[in-house]
Amino acid sequence: MSREMRIIAFCCNWCSYSAADLAGISRMHYPASVRIIRVMCSGMVHPEMVVHALDRGADGVMIIGCHLGECHYIRGNEIALARAEVIEETLEDLGYEPERFQLVWVSSAESERLVEAFRQMNDRLVRLSEAAELHPAAADTGATP
Amino acid sequence: MKPTFSCEWLHSCAGCEMSLIDLGEALLPLLERMEIVHFPLLMDNKYTHWAGEGGEPELPAADLGLVSGGVANEEQVAVLRALRRSCQTLIALGTCATHGGIPALANEQPQTVIRAAVFADCGPVPLQTPSCLERVYAVDELVQPDLCLPGCPPRPEAIEAAIIAVLDGELPAMFGKSVCETCPTRREGRAATRIARRFLENADGEPNEELAQMRCLLEQGFLCMGPMTAGGCGGSGAPLCVRVRMPCRGCYGPVRPGGNPLLDMMNGLAGQGVDRRSVVDRRSLLRFCGAHVLIRPTPRSR
Amino acid sequence: MAQVVTINAVTRIEGHARIRIRLDDSGTVDDARVEITALRGFEQFVVGRPAEEIPRIVSRICGICPWMHHLAAARAIDGCFGVEPPRAGRLLRELCLVLAHIPDKILHFFFLAAPDFVLGADCDYRVRNVIGLARQEPELAARVARMRRLGQDMLARLGGKAVHPVAGVVGGFSRPLGRDERRELLVDAARLLDFGLFALDFARERVLDQCAAADQPGQVTTGFLGTVDEQGCLRLASGRLRLMRPDGTVREFAAEDYGHHLRELSEPWSLAKTVYAESWGEGFSLDPIAPRGVYRVNTLARLNVCDCIGTPRAQAELQEFRARFGRPAQATLLHHWARLIELVYASERVAELLADDRILDRDVRTPAVPRAGRGVGHVEAPRGTLIHDYETDGRGCITRANLIVGTTHNVAAMNLSVRDAASRLICHGACDETILNRIEMALRAYDP
Repeated sequence: MSREMRIIAFCCNWCSYSAADLAGISRMHYPASVRIIRVMCSGMVHPEMVVHALDRGADGVMIIGCHLGECHYIRGNEIALARAEVIEETLEDLGYEPERFQLVWVSSAESERLVEAFRQMNDRLVRLSEAAELHPAAADTGATP
Repeated sequence: MKPTFSCEWLHSCAGCEMSLIDLGEALLPLLERMEIVHFPLLMDNKYTHWAGEGGEPELPAADLGLVSGGVANEEQVAVLRALRRSCQTLIALGTCATHGGIPALANEQPQTVIRAAVFADCGPVPLQTPSCLERVYAVDELVQPDLCLPGCPPRPEAIEAAIIAVLDGELPAMFGKSVCETCPTRREGRAATRIARRFLENADGEPNEELAQMRCLLEQGFLCMGPMTAGGCGGSGAPLCVRVRMPCRGCYGPVRPGGNPLLDMMNGLAGQGVDRRSVVDRRSLLRFCGAHVLIRPTPRSR
Repeated sequence: MAQVVTINAVTRIEGHARIRIRLDDSGTVDDARVEITALRGFEQFVVGRPAEEIPRIVSRICGICPWMHHLAAARAIDGCFGVEPPRAGRLLRELCLVLAHIPDKILHFFFLAAPDFVLGADCDYRVRNVIGLARQEPELAARVARMRRLGQDMLARLGGKAVHPVAGVVGGFSRPLGRDERRELLVDAARLLDFGLFALDFARERVLDQCAAADQPGQVTTGFLGTVDEQGCLRLASGRLRLMRPDGTVREFAAEDYGHHLRELSEPWSLAKTVYAESWGEGFSLDPIAPRGVYRVNTLARLNVCDCIGTPRAQAELQEFRARFGRPAQATLLHHWARLIELVYASERVAELLADDRILDRDVRTPAVPRAGRGVGHVEAPRGTLIHDYETDGRGCITRANLIVGTTHNVAAMNLSVRDAASRLICHGACDETILNRIEMALRAYDP
């Protein structure tokens, strides 16, 4: 049995955070692994915040912003998109599977879409950790001080 | 009585010690102010009663200690701990000690894999040697130094200033700004190209003109690590590599404590609209700061 | 009872090593080994990196001779990418390489080795070092420190940094030399030459007789490897490798073919590989009576293999040296003498290169295009022949690297020397600090 996942979800104040609110009011179920952090715009999430979350033990990180063209600050989500490409590529350089990160667009009315994205992310991470348990890293890597 | 002085090297190249000796004539009065009790490069104090197996090495008590190099085997761990115990004030000298340095590039693979590969063509891996740690550590991951003085190598004058400050009962002020702070090259605020250029030809600009006439190397499209890197390599003058028209490679480690130059550079390039795929080897951007688990085996090589 | 004597660490050398001496029941030396205890894995972690970055990475193999690694790698990457640097680029590289020998030799002779001779091998260990020397001879020490700094400063002016240089690049050099800069460098080069001649005179008076003693500890009889030009003159920058057998017969080959002549193997007690001369066809043995396949590199080896030296003062010194000790000279402590002759050569050669107007040419670099290929770069480092061998893929990234550094060639001979010294000096299991230091002196001569 795999342990419970921990997912950090950076939610934009103007769309996905409201969508999460709506999901709660509507009593929709989503995985308990998700921890929501409200940000004012998806464009303000620096790649370092994503890596920091993973370094501190998160299994996955999501950035959830407004659909392209609907940013409250005009172009914040375009910055998030450019950064997401960088994050996906550099995660592997830093020792993480790129699947541990996802960028999603959700409007404030799309609570079902948000819940589905949470579920998919959770399932993906569970599969990833199960695969890691099946093929553990080589045991003899040297001593720890 | 003179203050006592200890100097030890671990997983390093002796470049930091060379930089100290590069003080030239100023070295002699500096060493006269202290009594050297342990310094394998220059004097014959041994790890008394300790042959490297079992037990702990003993080092003479010292008021000030310098240690260069990262830590990669169990013998070095023992020596480092003994040095920390014996020194009142301990300075981690050079980027290997503060951030892992170039040898920490090895952290992309487990140490045992490296050993096996190096000896693949010439016989068995030597086993009667100190056992390796699973990766290369910076000094401050194992003991607490009183001061970190990065640089590959640190400037002779910076080492001198640090030693004098400690002898006078102070800790020296650090530069605290990036390499660009003292870089005289001309900046226009935007990149001249959309791709990252490899350094296969010399920088643009007339080489006999003043440096101030040359356009910023990063804007020329060369991956100059100046903005992410702690400055001070050239004192208050131009950064040393830029003086010979070479881009910075980040040898003083990240300017922000705990910073990640790989992410910062890629994020910066994305902001400038430079095609990130044109960077050939992104992981080399971490080449001086691979300790602190910044470089670790990739999921694929694990 | 059998006993093991350990010298940990060997001091006043330029790296990490320890000596382990095994004594049998009667207290006679049974075996002695030099153990190199650090491995950093450069050959492994350069793989995958863009080749043009390699010279700036491998300089960190050694902080004392970073220029040699820097320039050997630059030369090797030229080969991988198939570019030939313009003449001024080649001259600037040779200038830096030869110049870098000067502070290194000053460091080794005066800071590390001289205390044993000037203060005495049996002097108290707390005094037997460069500080003790400076107290006894303050003017000498000040001049030595000043001249070493001058050499380092000249390197910094040429290459940005003296330690871990950056100006050697694939295809040449990163910038041309200005006329005014050259004028200043010429003045400084003359000061270095004065000092080089002074150092040799000083040593002749105070040190070298001790190095010439016939029954000194650390004796071995080996072959030698060094570099010469087409006329058989001593070269420090790239040339042809010349391998000499103990009987003095020689064979020359290009650096690319080193694999046909030299072979690397590992010993369980050392993280440095051992190299032997495979092309002699006698195999490899560290038997102290009849060693097989063992050769040496470093200063003594270079003076033994070359027919002559191209600069006048060094050539005169070489003739005197050869008249006295023959060719090849085998005594281990003669490394110090040979080192100072090379110091004179390096000083003369620096002045010669600076005086050549072609070094001012503004075309210093041939642009390179990444491609798949192999390149071997070789130079003579202070510690001996240095070989860098790389292969690249179609993107110009490293796929394989093999490095043989000076000290690696000498591992076999250092073991023999230390064993000889230990056997001569330790009788009936009795040994003290002075005896152990005399054993270390046999190792120190190799400047490991």
